Amino acid sequence: MALWVDKHRPRELSKLDYHKEQAENLRNLCQQGDFPHLMFYGPSGAGKKTRIMCLLRELYGAGVERLRNETMTFTTPSNRKVEVMTVGSNYHLEVNPSDAGIYDRVVVIDLIKQVAQTHQIDAAGQREFKVIVLSEVDELTKDAQHALRRTMEKYVATCRIILSVNSTSRVIPAIRSRCLGIRVAAPNEEEITTVLQLTCKREGLTLPAEFSKRIVEKSEHNLRRALLMLEACKVQQYPFTGQQDIVELDWQVFLRETANQIVTEQTPAKLEKIRDRLYELLAQGVPPDMIFRGLVEELVRNCDMSLKAKTLEYATLYEHRMQNGAKHIFHLEAFVAQFMNIYKKFMSESMMMDDF
Amino acid sequence: MTTRKRAWNNSAFANCTKSDSCAETVVVDNDAETVPSNDLTGEAKIIGNNEKQQTTKTVSKSLKNTPNWIDIFEPSMSDDVAVHPKKLAELQNWLLHCEAVHKQHPAQICLLTGPSGAGKTAAARVLTRSMKYEWQEWINPVDRDFINTLGDQTSSYNGSQLDLFKSFLFRSSRYKSLFGREKRLVIVEDFPNIILSNTDTFENILEEYSKYGKSPLLFIVTDSKTRSLNVSYNLFTEQVKNKYHINHISFNPIAVTLMQKAMKRFCTLMKTPQLADTYCVPSQTIIDSIIIAAQGDVRNAIINLHFASIKGAGTLPIERLESGEVKGKSKKKMSTLKTIRRDESVTMMHALGRVFNPKHLPNGSFIHKPEDITDSFTSEPKRFINLIHANYLPHFKDIEHIVEAGDALSIADNIISEYREDALAVTALNLAVRSIMVANQTPVSAWLPIRAPTRNQQGFGPKSQQMTGISTNLYATDYGSYVHIIQGVKKI
Repeated sequence: MALWVDKHRPRELSKLDYHKEQAENLRNLCQQGDFPHLMFYGPSGAGKKTRIMCLLRELYGAGVERLRNETMTFTTPSNRKVEVMTVGSNYHLEVNPSDAGIYDRVVVIDLIKQVAQTHQIDAAGQREFKVIVLSEVDELTKDAQHALRRTMEKYVATCRIILSVNSTSRVIPAIRSRCLGIRVAAPNEEEITTVLQLTCKREGLTLPAEFSKRIVEKSEHNLRRALLMLEACKVQQYPFTGQQDIVELDWQVFLRETANQIVTEQTPAKLEKIRDRLYELLAQGVPPDMIFRGLVEELVRNCDMSLKAKTLEYATLYEHRMQNGAKHIFHLEAFVAQFMNIYKKFMSESMMMDDF
Repeated sequence: MTTRKRAWNNSAFANCTKSDSCAETVVVDNDAETVPSNDLTGEAKIIGNNEKQQTTKTVSKSLKNTPNWIDIFEPSMSDDVAVHPKKLAELQNWLLHCEAVHKQHPAQICLLTGPSGAGKTAAARVLTRSMKYEWQEWINPVDRDFINTLGDQTSSYNGSQLDLFKSFLFRSSRYKSLFGREKRLVIVEDFPNIILSNTDTFENILEEYSKYGKSPLLFIVTDSKTRSLNVSYNLFTEQVKNKYHINHISFNPIAVTLMQKAMKRFCTLMKTPQLADTYCVPSQTIIDSIIIAAQGDVRNAIINLHFASIKGAGTLPIERLESGEVKGKSKKKMSTLKTIRRDESVTMMHALGRVFNPKHLPNGSFIHKPEDITDSFTSEPKRFINLIHANYLPHFKDIEHIVEAGDALSIADNIISEYREDALAVTALNLAVRSIMVANQTPVSAWLPIRAPTRNQQGFGPKSQQMTGISTNLYATDYGSYVHIIQGVKKI
């Protein structure tokens, strides 16, 4: 059973639903013998991975779609075994090195070495290089990124690397300058609507315009999320009605509830409860920057105009520290404490005003 | 081939006098940690092979005039040992028990633990001597290429240390040496390195020993604060202790009264004619400060006493202790040694208490300075900061004060992330400790048990494993809740 997101994913560059001009450019890129390292960047759910897969098909033909899963084991210098799941075909290998946590450096080096040390079997009929697809490269540690930079240069004869990145700001300049950057912007509302309608048509469903509009709004320009949302709604209730409930992501609900709790009570005991909730989110695997962002958005929505500027000021301060630091919870908690403090002060001041 | 290869052999020189025993020097230079053996009693000696003897003979000449001074103070009777009599009796009972069951179960095993300088080895030595046991100790061989007589560089193969250790254990427990006594006690104080990292091998050795060993076996292990280095914790788990019926005797740091008694004995020893020309007994104040500075470590006390009393040396600088808590009862000035003092050992829990509930002097400064607390934990700053973070919240009354503390912890985390510079870690720890102490203006005093820091383990659910090619982060943020709905209903 495949999810709609996977089932209706375009497989060829010519069949992409949007950014068609870019698709044409990518196809031209494949025609030439000189294929550079690539870096696809853009927000989550914009279609980076789809484009990468289409590009690989353009390069190697349908063979790249015969995928196999493999668990690769790497040994760190400290003799610890790190297991990483990879997906690959005869021509390419796809891996998310940030899954290895702090051992990502070993994964990056060893993986590329393993792949790059062997040449393509049939060099005549094929390209002379293999492709390694690395996703979420911006989550890699600086150490691993520097290792990647070196290995990219070293094995350029036998392999090309395609990086998939959310934000280029977290990729070191040395890697950025070695790749051809390809920006995949998030689809706009009409584009998402067309894709949703098209998917429903293929599934043989009817989608009311009002409902699709609401899904588009909810999805925050994330096509993957929009499609998953649509499928979940279909499971819950079909035929669609304009006002039917849209399933929300549970971590977002959880985060909103957390923000509400912060506003209701500002005591050390409450802060401790909030910390537990934040820990829970982190343990679920929600990235800390998304937690931070969601939290700030909810808090700002709940508070007075005069507090908004101050809140954002603290948010920027601690978010920056979080990026530099190691323990995310320290910074999240410090931010919550700051907000509680200013909110409490504000409330007691406004109470005094009321008394007059 | 190593210098220590036949460590279990009793030395043929054991009965020789000190002047021509080269074995003495060998023991001294490798065994600084333990109280070295006194050769006059005819204990097992560790000797080198012939080559080694040739080289050390010249050295021993020069050492002869200055005997190992720590030996002088070694206790010779059980009354002289500074260990608490009850603990000593415990060890003695074990030895008696060994004798009693020698016919049926000769391979009794005992584990002797305690902090450094608690008199573990000294106690064991005195008892073995008084109970007429032969002391057979394992000392890790030193890897050294030896040059054969022709001067060629030959085999650098030294054999497995583990094999050597095993054969030492079994042979020394089974076969008595030609000159030795009937009863033998096998001592392991120096563990082969491989065993420390490999607990399974150790269990195997114990297993074999308990089957085939013929003598009681005594392990002497010094307690250490860090768990990873703690031999008794890592090797002698409860399970192991139960399985092989290991008798665990734990020594405490030496109490002040016992230490005073020991110091008195040392002073009388110093007055004896053969030592009087080297030593002159220092003043009582100095002796008292030595006792305080040593903090239950008798070896440390001996070393300090040596330097305090050696002729021609200046007096040791003394520092007065601020005795805030002593109330009128004893007006005696407490003082400790200024320079060569053992660091006060503070447990982590204790230090955390000092951080969360800081005590002030009348003039407003802290009794326990943040610097001192920091200094005690420079080896594991990260752990301490995490512990502070996990526990600081309940100690605060006001959110206003938390702001400062939280802010400082966040900066500390940033500083400590720069792992390339060790000094920064200490700075971060200092910052965290200091800011918590300063920020907490109205500490909550209640019973607040310390909690361990939460480990952030990502939940690798079974679902995310099924969806290959999707990272855990992505699964959590986008897929998780929807896939749950979609698949959950479709299954039905």
